[in-house]
Amino acid sequence: MVHPAEDNLSHTQLSSNVFEDLLESIIVDVASECHRIARLGLERNLEEEEEELRLSALARAGVADSGNSSEANNKYVVDIFGQTHPPVANELFDCMNCGRSVAAGRFAPHLEKW
Amino acid sequence: MSTPNWLYANPKPCSHLSDYKLRHGLSGYTKLNTCLRASPSGRLSVRIEQEEVMRCGFGLESSGCGERRRLLMCLVCGSLMCSNHSVLHVQAQSGHGVTVDVERSELYCSLCCDQVYDPEFDRVLMCKHVGVKPRNGARNGGVETGKMRFCKRRRLGLDLGLSRSEKQLGFVKDLRAKSCFPFGLRGLNNLGNTCFMNSVLQALLHAPPLRNYFLGDRHNREKCRKISLEKLCLPCDVDAIFTAVYSGDRTPYSPAQFLYSWWQHSSNLATYEQQDAHEFFISMLDLIHEKETKESCDLSKDSGECTCVAHGAFSGLLRSDVTCATCGFTSTTYDPCVDISLDLDTVRRTSTNKSAKSNEGGSTSTLSGCLDLFTKPEKLGSDQKLYCQSCDGMRESLKQMSIRRLPAVLCLHIKRFEHSHIRKMSRKVDRHVQFPFSLDMSPYLSSSIVRNRFGNRIYAFEGDEAEVSTEYDVFAVVNHSGMLESGHYVTYLRLRSQWYKCDDAWVTEVDERVVRASQCYLVYYVQRAFHHAASEDLGCLPMSPHRDTFQPIAGCC
Repeated sequence: MVHPAEDNLSHTQLSSNVFEDLLESIIVDVASECHRIARLGLERNLEEEEEELRLSALARAGVADSGNSSEANNKYVVDIFGQTHPPVANELFDCMNCGRSVAAGRFAPHLEKW
Repeated sequence: MSTPNWLYANPKPCSHLSDYKLRHGLSGYTKLNTCLRASPSGRLSVRIEQEEVMRCGFGLESSGCGERRRLLMCLVCGSLMCSNHSVLHVQAQSGHGVTVDVERSELYCSLCCDQVYDPEFDRVLMCKHVGVKPRNGARNGGVETGKMRFCKRRRLGLDLGLSRSEKQLGFVKDLRAKSCFPFGLRGLNNLGNTCFMNSVLQALLHAPPLRNYFLGDRHNREKCRKISLEKLCLPCDVDAIFTAVYSGDRTPYSPAQFLYSWWQHSSNLATYEQQDAHEFFISMLDLIHEKETKESCDLSKDSGECTCVAHGAFSGLLRSDVTCATCGFTSTTYDPCVDISLDLDTVRRTSTNKSAKSNEGGSTSTLSGCLDLFTKPEKLGSDQKLYCQSCDGMRESLKQMSIRRLPAVLCLHIKRFEHSHIRKMSRKVDRHVQFPFSLDMSPYLSSSIVRNRFGNRIYAFEGDEAEVSTEYDVFAVVNHSGMLESGHYVTYLRLRSQWYKCDDAWVTEVDERVVRASQCYLVYYVQRAFHHAASEDLGCLPMSPHRDTFQPIAGCC
């Protein structure tokens, strides 16, 4: 069925019409989906998510400012129990394979030889 | 089948819809159903066979107004109109206000000028999805109708060990020594590039199901030694670590016996080199499973659900839907998993990024972004065509992952290490990934994903179980810093709302902001019910009448 109103439209106008049709269809698609999700209570809890993002951003800014070197291996710190430890663990125990006394911090390389 | 009222906010119908239902019942809906066609993407639209292009027929008899956009079909008389003319239509014919959007199959009330919802309408439409038969008659759509073997409802937790057997809990005797610190907090000595192992051990030492199991003496070392034919038993070594770490002794512990044991079992990983913490985690769960299932020759293992402590804690079920791009036929498979490995999502630019001075270029990904990416439908390339039953041929397809069943303890692995086999190169992605302390996994469940695929219709989809808990709380974060080859792993633990940094032998208190800003690699979450039970349990130790003894107070001892 040829529609009278579209008879004498130029190429550009026809393309423009098609584009508008597509655009409107897409917009209504999104609106319809979101409307359903909102009305049926299926939304993700956006407030909680926003809050987590905010806290995370604050944390990152805070850490950058204070020049916190918590990632650095500062092995000379005192732990919460009030203890200090040498960089290489020096607790001694006997190897399960050879029976020799080995320092904890060198246990893995020792074991590897077996 | 009743609609799951707990899930959908019950949308009250407008008076026009109620009147329509009173007068016509479901007859309009069922008649509409015969004109509906499903596109491969799963969307239902109205198709009138005689008309190639549907237009608004309102007005002049021969041509009508001709509008093609946003057409509505009256559910009383079936006339096709544009939204403007639908208003005129209902004015001319009272009672003809309820229409359906032909493109989207959504109810539209011309008098309220709004989209409205009716569970019965959605149900009728869903029958269209479920009933569609591809050429060879098999079921379609990925919507199971109860034919699939329904997984037994999981018992929440391993139902054990919350009764404390005193002989195991050595700390009861050693209460004076540093009793103000949480239990199970103890440094682990680095035995030579073993921080990958220490970091994962710290996380597992605080995973409630594992902790309850071992502290509840469910793996008794004496009994095991008697009945086991093998000299080495990894669960025994794990049990030894639990005993040591929860003993109340705060000097760093050397998990030497465990390392020896683990190396014996996995010789391919037994090198003096930095290993990947994630690989170690998987390996450890595998070995515990092997040993545990060997011991209990339980023939009911074929039921498909492993009840060993490792799987009981970490095992979940993933669902994979492969949809043919030509006909829409979907085939579904299920695979168990003990963790979820996530690719990094594309960078999300937030407004706060402008102020953040970060040497990584101020870019940040989010964990939910990674999870969204994981559950996003993925177009498989034309070189990856799969066989479609319905078309009886190789077709391009769409693949979508979702979580059918969540584990009690959820381990999320951020894939930071990229290994390129072609170029024999590996690199690490240092980008910060934002992760929440409280995580709701419901958008990633199969029920949500499948529901979304069918337009979020009000319908009882398979897998909608009211008792499923989808809320998780973080309890451990394994962090990797440095380069690929020479990096270092540390673990942040959250015990009783205080965060601790476990850097091999060094245990220190840190502020939660440090944890949020850290570069997570493995994030461990536990189901909220477990988390509350866990903190309850450790808090109510017999001795002290005043509970505040167990609040961590820095430097008090």
